[in-house]
Amino acid sequence: MSESYAGRGYAERGYGRGDEKSTRAGGAILAAISTLSAILVLLGLYYATGTTERHKAAMAAAGCEPNLMNVNVGCTTVQTIVSQYNSVTNPAIQQLNADVAAYTAAETHNLGAAEMAVRAEVATAGQLVKGLGQIPFAFFAAPQAKVTILAIQARAKLMTEQARSSSLAQLRSFNSRIDAAGTTIQTDLKLLRTDVEHHPTASQEPSGND
Amino acid sequence: MSTTRDYGRGPYAREQDLYPAQPGLYPADYESGVYPDSGVYPDDALEAWGDDREPAADAQPLRRRPGTIDEWMDGRAKFGGTGFKRKTAALIVLGAWGFLPLFFMLPSLFTFNTNTIGNSVDDTLGTGAMMNLFLCLLITPAVTLTGQRWFIPLRRWYGIMFACCGIGDALGAAFFDDFAGNPFAKLVEHTFTLIGFLMVLLAIPLFITSNNWAQRKMGRYWKRLQRLTYVIWGLLFFHLATLEGFGFERGSNGSGFAGDGDPIFHQRLYEYCAASLFLLTLRLPPVKRWIVARQEEGRSRLVYLAVAPIFALFVFSFIFIINELIFKGTHSFVENPSSE
Repeated sequence: MSESYAGRGYAERGYGRGDEKSTRAGGAILAAISTLSAILVLLGLYYATGTTERHKAAMAAAGCEPNLMNVNVGCTTVQTIVSQYNSVTNPAIQQLNADVAAYTAAETHNLGAAEMAVRAEVATAGQLVKGLGQIPFAFFAAPQAKVTILAIQARAKLMTEQARSSSLAQLRSFNSRIDAAGTTIQTDLKLLRTDVEHHPTASQEPSGND
Repeated sequence: MSTTRDYGRGPYAREQDLYPAQPGLYPADYESGVYPDSGVYPDDALEAWGDDREPAADAQPLRRRPGTIDEWMDGRAKFGGTGFKRKTAALIVLGAWGFLPLFFMLPSLFTFNTNTIGNSVDDTLGTGAMMNLFLCLLITPAVTLTGQRWFIPLRRWYGIMFACCGIGDALGAAFFDDFAGNPFAKLVEHTFTLIGFLMVLLAIPLFITSNNWAQRKMGRYWKRLQRLTYVIWGLLFFHLATLEGFGFERGSNGSGFAGDGDPIFHQRLYEYCAASLFLLTLRLPPVKRWIVARQEEGRSRLVYLAVAPIFALFVFSFIFIINELIFKGTHSFVENPSSE
């Protein structure tokens, strides 16, 4: 036997013949599994060629928003977006209402508490903006979402100035502008919700998107 | 019958150099001082040769030759006037993948975003644990095929990352999943969660003993303990089978999402089986012997040719595991968890 690794390692210990047999068995096992693997890989590649068509068919069958997602991302239905929208806006609006109540209770006699309530409202507004920004709105809802986000940011900016007030009178002088900004946001949120719940017709969908 | 100690002193003593210990899945780093310079291997190293003189199933031949990548990796490189060991840099780059699942979850952990943790921790850390387990199990076949050893320390690292991801997955499931009951009930009330919990319980002692001190203290028992990793590997099959079933469906009841065009590729049990085929085949003693024999005959190309389809299948399936991890992980990272 040649001075091979196998020879030194196995044959000298009396495993030469048995090892050869075992080695052959190893080759046979490897050949069988390798052939099976090659077949599976080829089948997989063949299957992969139909991905785009299957994806389109599956998206259509499931009622997914076709313009929102690419092939690697999941199905986003109108219900999904509505659910996401609610999970972002409902707790935020609830918190904003609580912050407004706290401000109303303090604005006449406690400058510190009122400013704290205003800052809390700014923080909540920031979270609302962040949450809205992460929702994959449909193409027809995206402009309204942007308008709403800008309105929320404008009100938050105003409130940031309000929180710097040095007196209760100065603090209250912002109220009318902030209330007006709040009314705008309410209107925008209503319009956005309508858009979010809107099911586009086939003619409304942009062409060329998967 | 020779005893293990006889091997150390007797005619087979030289063979220790040819067949050094191949500890379990979190092996000693041969170059970190665990195995002393005297060349005396601990008992578990000698166990690589059993009393029947057969090499252990996972014994690895040491074939460090001059001019190999191993030697090149031991050299130093310079970058911006700073010298560093090539091996260290390569290990950091390759090891970073193991940390990726935990990295994806960091923002939600820092902000304690229970919405993201509840919705996404299972997928991100679960898939991450699966990826790390396979990477950990990949080291032994890679050593068998290439004869290189510089990447062996990655096995311990991937093993540790596997345990961290698995424990994180279990904690997320226990405290933030929608299942009914207390945290413990959530872990045991479904078959797939129970199996997953069992896997985590097995991973904990492996995790705790995945250090050189524990290895020295436990001696030969350390290696036996580390072989629990193979049990975890087997349990993962049942975990995925009970989680996703043997078929493939789209929508809420299957592996693929409702609009999925590749439900077969996204079926995690299939990914597991395809990846495991390579990892298992190259652990079979007859196959290892065949590979070593061909390599010693200088027919390494034949080995690579024979193994290429199985490795291609491994890569094919592993790509979709990575795809899943990055898809779910990036959603977790921006704290907008995927509902898939």
